[in-house]
Amino acid sequence: MTDKIDVVVIGGGPGGYVAAIRAAQLGLTTALVEQQHLGGICLNWGCIPTKAMLKGAEVGHTLKHLNTFGFSAENVQFDIAQLVAHSRGVSQRLTSGIAWLLKKNGVRVIDGRGRVSAKGVVSVSTGQGEQVLQARHIIVATGARPRSLPGLAADGQKVWSYFDALVPKSVPASLLVIGSGAIGVEFASLYRDLGSEVTLVEVARQIMPVEDHEVASLVQREFEQRGIRVLTQARVSAVEGEVGALRCRVTLKEGGEQTVHVSQVLLAAGIEPNTQDMGLETLGVEFENGFIKTDAWCRTSVVGLYAIGDVAGAPCLAHKASHEGVLCVEKLAGVDGVHPLDKSRIPGCTYARPEVASLGLTETAAKARGLNIRVGRFDYQANGKALAMGDSTGFVKTIFDADTGELLGAHMVGPHVTEQIQGFGIAQCLEATDAELSQVIFAHPTLSEAMHEAVLAAGGRALHQ
Amino acid sequence: MSAIKIIEVPKWGLSMEEGTLNRWLIEEGDRFTLHQEICDIETSKISNVMEAPFEGVLRRKVAVAGQTLPVGGVLGVVAEASVSDADIDAFLAQRAPATAAPVPDLVTAAPVAPVVPEVSVTVPGPAPAPNAQAAQGWTVPQALLGSCPESVFATPHATRLANEQGIDLSRITGTGPQARISVADIERAVREGGGKVAVLAPALKAAGPVRSRADDSQVLATPLARRLAAERGVNLNDCRVTGSRGRVCKADVLEVSAAQNPVLAPTDQATPEPDAVEVLPMSGMRKAIAARLQASKRTAPHFRLQAELDLEALLTLRSEINASAPAIKLSVNDLLIKACALALVKVPDVNVQFDEARQAVLRFSDADISVAVALPGGLITPIVRQANRKSLAQISAEMLSLVTRAKAGTLKPEEFQGGSFSMSNLGMLGVSQFDAIINPPQGAILAIGAGEPRAVAHNGQVAVRTQMTVTLSCDHRVIDGALGAAFLKELKRLVQTPSLMML
Repeated sequence: MTDKIDVVVIGGGPGGYVAAIRAAQLGLTTALVEQQHLGGICLNWGCIPTKAMLKGAEVGHTLKHLNTFGFSAENVQFDIAQLVAHSRGVSQRLTSGIAWLLKKNGVRVIDGRGRVSAKGVVSVSTGQGEQVLQARHIIVATGARPRSLPGLAADGQKVWSYFDALVPKSVPASLLVIGSGAIGVEFASLYRDLGSEVTLVEVARQIMPVEDHEVASLVQREFEQRGIRVLTQARVSAVEGEVGALRCRVTLKEGGEQTVHVSQVLLAAGIEPNTQDMGLETLGVEFENGFIKTDAWCRTSVVGLYAIGDVAGAPCLAHKASHEGVLCVEKLAGVDGVHPLDKSRIPGCTYARPEVASLGLTETAAKARGLNIRVGRFDYQANGKALAMGDSTGFVKTIFDADTGELLGAHMVGPHVTEQIQGFGIAQCLEATDAELSQVIFAHPTLSEAMHEAVLAAGGRALHQ
Repeated sequence: MSAIKIIEVPKWGLSMEEGTLNRWLIEEGDRFTLHQEICDIETSKISNVMEAPFEGVLRRKVAVAGQTLPVGGVLGVVAEASVSDADIDAFLAQRAPATAAPVPDLVTAAPVAPVVPEVSVTVPGPAPAPNAQAAQGWTVPQALLGSCPESVFATPHATRLANEQGIDLSRITGTGPQARISVADIERAVREGGGKVAVLAPALKAAGPVRSRADDSQVLATPLARRLAAERGVNLNDCRVTGSRGRVCKADVLEVSAAQNPVLAPTDQATPEPDAVEVLPMSGMRKAIAARLQASKRTAPHFRLQAELDLEALLTLRSEINASAPAIKLSVNDLLIKACALALVKVPDVNVQFDEARQAVLRFSDADISVAVALPGGLITPIVRQANRKSLAQISAEMLSLVTRAKAGTLKPEEFQGGSFSMSNLGMLGVSQFDAIINPPQGAILAIGAGEPRAVAHNGQVAVRTQMTVTLSCDHRVIDGALGAAFLKELKRLVQTPSLMML
């Protein structure tokens, strides 16, 4: 007989492995159950490998505009297989890095599929049969998978999911992307830069529905200039034909139907949580819209059972999962000063060209709440560094509470904005107001000066516009 | 202890570092009451009357009018007439060395001025006459000389200084509120006019930086400053306020920290010789276990009583509850905690601590049950308080949290100190039975073995039933055999008829 394991985590993605490391750091005995890849979707099929592919797209874009900087090149060749190999290599390297981190922290990693067979019991189906773990605390971090639409599911042939889109054998001549969230927009941008004719279909009124409307319309304008066809308030009702010659029936809101002929379709219409065959219903776990229902400390309705990350609801982002992993573990371990997740402080980033990064409320949402706001905007056209880089499309928009100066939202679109949004995140976390932010000295010449100017602009005192 | 108290320079506001005694309002030998006005003190910002922080008799004016002292500096000594002058001299002599030693505990915290500095201050004995001293070193420019009209608005200290030096205050611009003239204004005017001002003797300045002990949680500070202050032991009350929005900032804390902690030369650390034997220094926890249990074994005469409990009914109840309520997962141990608690209430003479010093038994009406939790390198006994009043679900949830936090080392002292009875369960490690050492000053501890199938006589038949052996260790100084037996009998009744626990 052995003592119970303090914490068993099911799922080794950015939520699960971070929770496991934190638990082990706090002196708790910890096991992590992962059925496929450490690092989860993020490292293997999401955040990281797409960034590797998008870097390739950026190189392609640069090559097309060499003349801006006086260069010319002839006979430039592109081998998609090499780009895919780079992308897969990065994932592999990071995955083994996670394995090392877990080992270093003394987390026992069990390869297999975990399910919660009873309160405080995790059963793992491994290659060698069933292993039963007695646990004080069980954290479900099983993530999510691509969502199918009625009558339309990814089959890896005609209809890709992001899994397929990350390992293409060739660049499709034309691609129709269903859904314009971060995944859809990134792949649309990626494949356009790699040479595909791209159609982006979104059911909502604007692309990137969670982003600020001004940001979304700028991205749409940029996409259209790059030759991407954008259809909003449109729905793909059927995909017919054979791979390479597909007919997509697109129903428009205004009435009428279009047929779009493409060689490939990518389904990126959101994700759904991995909660099936986990034994959760039998235990009495409560759900909300298909996601596991949790309280402020990631506790489910079952004693000793927690859920973090995508499986516990939106926003389905790696950094949200990691943050929940830490707060869940610290709370159960009694660490002082743990705060519940504040969803208004989770940044969201989309790595298309142009990049989009945002935090907090959109202008529309702030107004809908009846808040008295001051909005500042600053265009990268007036930013020296952006002009020097030859990449000055975009702007920074700040939303402050008019009375208190609290930073309610920040929305950025343009060059390297995903690397800069943290500046606003830090300010928000420290509860800095527009007064403090105005006093910060931003280095010149940098893209970040646009952030400063957008803060000043909210007070009607931008210096360079 | 004879009550000798001191009257200190109070701290009026965050930035106050020193104060100048303008004049005494009472004389040596005067009895004063709480809140009576006793002297006039001027700071760089205000001049104000100081109220007595306590009542007493002023025996010695240590500070004389015109003298500037740091916050916390000694103004006077207060003692009843019964205290001799020699005692007061000795007391002052003892305080005189300007060391950073804590104030002797005969200093009582003043209710009105709660800030009690830890640093004692160089006290100039019977001081040189201030006027003589003040008169020295001043060269007043001709342009400022003259007699002073009464209508000029100046602080009392400034007025006196002007009188002493023959300065016409109407020729000086005041910078205080309503253009009030302060000593600083006079000094500036004298310097600007080409004159000289006397520099206060360094001995009158702070001999060491002030260290407040007052609560600083309400002081506005940046997050960094607050944390830095906590790390360096700086009280935010001692810091200047130069940050944005009136907050103490990093620089303010560093300034105080540097003043309070002069840089020490690094000490050479001798590298220990490698040894064939691994030397594992005892952790604090190990030392505590060693000391407490050694004392227990040495001083408490242990005797042990054993009982075998039939667990069948308890296990049935447990699985029924666990199968029907998602939010509850009872362990056998949770049920035993509840059973022990109820048995202790029924047999309260086992629910005791032995107060050896007072030769008394402390008998508790509620059962605070300490539960031994094994940790790497030791063990700890978090307490389920008032377990007799708690539901099984509450006990279970509390135990899950206590055990996890015990492992993470985040238990608060009040969560593992105290307790009226202890339980130690090694059943999950496969131990059939054992006996435990009493957790002093408690009177008894229950050692719980594994629940295991045993062949037993049941209703006249041999049957295989789940049995558990428990062993009660009692301190015979306070618990006798029959009493221990009564407890075990009640425990057995509750465990074997667990529905009684629902009552």
